[in-house]
Amino acid sequence: MATELPRLPEQLPTSSVRYVGKEVKRVEDPALVSGTAEFIDNLTLPNMLHCAILRSPHPHARILKVDASAAEALEGVVAVITPEDVKRWANAHVTSPPGWGTHCIAIDKVLYVGEPVAAVAATSRALAEDACELIDIEYEILPSVGTANAALAPDAPVLWEEHGTNLIQQRTYNWGEVDRVFAEADHIVTGSFRWNRCGANPTETFGCVCQWDLTDNSLLCHGGYQVPGFWGLARSFSLNLPANKVKVVSHPQGGAFGGKGGARGTDIAALLSRKAGGLPVKYIEDRMEYLLAGSSQSWDRHYEASLALKADGTITGLKVKLLDDQGATTETYGTISVAKPLAAFTGNYRIEAAQYDTTLVVTNRAPAAPYRGYGPPPHFYVLENLVDMAARKLAMDPAELRRINYIRPDQFPYTIPSGNEYDSGNYEAILDKVLKLADYQALRKEQAAARAEGRLVGISVVNTVEPGVFDWNAYATVGVQGVGVPEGARVSVDILGNVTIVVGFNLQGQGQFTVAAQVVADYFGLDMNAVKVTMAPTDSAPPHFGQGGSRLGVAITGAVLGACQKLEADFKRVVAHLMGGLPVEAIELMDGKFRIKANPAIGMTFAEVAGTMLGRSDLLPPGMEPNPTATSVWTAPGRNMPDDQGRCKSYLTAASATHVVMVEVDRETGRTQILKYFIVDDCGTRLNPATVEGQLQGALAQGVGAALLEEYVYDDQANPLVTTFADYLIPSIHEVPIATKDFIVTPSPVTPLGAKGCGEGAMHTTPAAVSCAINDALAPLGVQITETPATPLRVWKLLKQAGAAG
Amino acid sequence: MTTKQRTTVTVNGRVYQREVEPRLTLADFLRHELHLGGTHLGCEHGVCGICTVLINGRSARSCLTLAVQADGAQVTTIEGLRNRETGELHPIQQAFVDEHGLQCGFCTPAFIMTTLELLRDNPNPSDEEMKEALGGNLCRCTGYENILKSVRLAAQRLRASSAA
Repeated sequence: MATELPRLPEQLPTSSVRYVGKEVKRVEDPALVSGTAEFIDNLTLPNMLHCAILRSPHPHARILKVDASAAEALEGVVAVITPEDVKRWANAHVTSPPGWGTHCIAIDKVLYVGEPVAAVAATSRALAEDACELIDIEYEILPSVGTANAALAPDAPVLWEEHGTNLIQQRTYNWGEVDRVFAEADHIVTGSFRWNRCGANPTETFGCVCQWDLTDNSLLCHGGYQVPGFWGLARSFSLNLPANKVKVVSHPQGGAFGGKGGARGTDIAALLSRKAGGLPVKYIEDRMEYLLAGSSQSWDRHYEASLALKADGTITGLKVKLLDDQGATTETYGTISVAKPLAAFTGNYRIEAAQYDTTLVVTNRAPAAPYRGYGPPPHFYVLENLVDMAARKLAMDPAELRRINYIRPDQFPYTIPSGNEYDSGNYEAILDKVLKLADYQALRKEQAAARAEGRLVGISVVNTVEPGVFDWNAYATVGVQGVGVPEGARVSVDILGNVTIVVGFNLQGQGQFTVAAQVVADYFGLDMNAVKVTMAPTDSAPPHFGQGGSRLGVAITGAVLGACQKLEADFKRVVAHLMGGLPVEAIELMDGKFRIKANPAIGMTFAEVAGTMLGRSDLLPPGMEPNPTATSVWTAPGRNMPDDQGRCKSYLTAASATHVVMVEVDRETGRTQILKYFIVDDCGTRLNPATVEGQLQGALAQGVGAALLEEYVYDDQANPLVTTFADYLIPSIHEVPIATKDFIVTPSPVTPLGAKGCGEGAMHTTPAAVSCAINDALAPLGVQITETPATPLRVWKLLKQAGAAG
Repeated sequence: MTTKQRTTVTVNGRVYQREVEPRLTLADFLRHELHLGGTHLGCEHGVCGICTVLINGRSARSCLTLAVQADGAQVTTIEGLRNRETGELHPIQQAFVDEHGLQCGFCTPAFIMTTLELLRDNPNPSDEEMKEALGGNLCRCTGYENILKSVRLAAQRLRASSAA
């Protein structure tokens, strides 16, 4: 069996690649445009009950009494769960670092508004909600912690009495001689930044249907699960079940972006099913529940950061001090967003030394969750703003300051101070291309003319690195253990030569089923419609993770190629045997034909070999199983354990992009309008270019939301003030600029087919790029916006301060 | 709970009669009483537009409409678009596939229903008119670029077929 996977599409066993790297229509789409995809709320099981959850109206309170008798007496109510049931049947959620997870329903006290305190299963959702109103809960209201700074005050109320402090973790990393480079710097630029909470908000909220089998003592969970196996394992911990007694069936998801969540909802629906004698229970989170306390809120950060430079503009050092508000618990893995920046801490630049000082605290806000990018987007917002501040200080063009500090093409693979290795790249080529695409000099002239008219027009040139293909080792610094993220595919061929690919994850929007089909079709010379891709539940799927960490396109490509290679080896054995006992090495695969190398006219088609294997056992080599099926599980090669400063080879690929943005800030209102947007990116081989472009533009939209519109606002007592889409402003078609895009291709030397992770994409760059453009517009006034989102009110206040507002 | 009311709604040309609670929304009626699951719910407070259907030919949010309000109405949903005999996609659906006008596909039925109304009333809309028509529909995946391309392609194909 071959051990090396093809490094480029041209190395596939075909004389002409038909699908990989071409714009192909997605196999996912016909069902989606027809409205027939089985999103979780479309699933109905016989005798299914409906769940509603009663949630805490207080940020911090002791639960004195729960009386559910009136709810239980309501006709149509089948089960109610209260803290007593949860104490008996469930465990607190496992967290990293450990010990900061609560139960699915609050026991003794509530830590945030929206925390579940009881739940009802009834014959309809409306009835279940009626019943929730009948549950009587007596609270003793406790003083709350509203902000990260308040959490560390000496007299602050303590959320977690067993810890005795609101501090989850304080850790400082030093990479290289930070003190020396700052002491020897000719210039130091320093800034304070505030990134307010924003979050994923997929259009579909979380939902599940859970059924507890009381005979077998096992659990079946259907739902919008992003990472089915991982969620199944977590349920085994929280619900006291062996992991193989939790079966998770992932349904197509209406987006996730990391923020789908579902742990609590699943545990609650599962316990209700258990209490209801094993009837299935459906829970569909509504939008208010999602906004309040789903996995909806991410990145609540206060930064102090500095950049050290030489007189010629060489950046020598970066210091970042982060105070991160994780909310009330760490159960949704928000802590990882503090660890992930290590994978690309110094961005595109050669910076010899860096320091990262991290303080993670709990407050009475909702638990922080993952969101597209998982940490680097706010980090790059800080770094890129610092670089622009340095450019202004040194009176250098921001594009040129970046250029002279880039990691050069001949320096790859390049190890950054925080330990990760970038696989490949050509940042200067990206910069040149985007400056040309934007006609940068003309833009600057346009800006000068606008400024002469008194208009506030700004331009940014911002680049970032997207760490792709995540590995668990990157998160060791917050207590996550392990190296390697297995992703499997099982490829089976039927007697007529049709192929089925079984994977462990379901649709979420990024088109990975299409990628899997493209790869197999090109490998065996098939039409794509001869390939079916399907998801298996966790009890029959190969090892898998699912979507996350800009990884799955690369990982599933590796898994499918590995399975194809195993099939190829078996098929060659059959053909060699049938050709009169030739050695296997005498057979080659090309364009779907297994042929004799010395005489390529002689051979068998893919379907003929499969048919022989399944239908003519008398013709097979002795001892060969009639099984044209192969499973392969891929994980990134060469990953290692981190050292005491968190340094390791974590993310396998380093994609990059440079955005050029032109904005205008309205003097009267402080409103920002994006006038022009240009992107050039490099994510190696583009497996399905249309999908890559779609991911880029979609991430751009989310970046615009984070930069200008989206914010979870709390009062100083941690009461949420944003609970509907009327307050949480998702960008509409009117707010999202359509970027002019181009790309270069620097294939990854370490991935199958040379592709790099690209799913998180522009989310890394857009918030920084829009912010830097606004600050360029404001620069003549001597003010800067250093807080997200740059709402009209925030900007107007700055204009007023500068005496420039209308 | 209050007394149920008899409600008669014609959906995609077929007449349905049900006894429903007055508080039942049209969206839940379509999804759970009629098992037409292609109309999705994004926020249930009238902002995202993901539940858009046509009521008597006009786009409307089925989450803010009660089923009893639709009594006697003609409702068109995504399930009514594909050719029933051949299974062939409607030209608007096909244009969304061809131009990659969707990613997760959750908001897509609503965009298609809004586009159906737009192109019926205005077969050759400008980009500004498209944005105006689609401004009430949120999409979290695509960044709208490929949605606009899909609507342009659908318009072009529908004009070509009506001219033929």
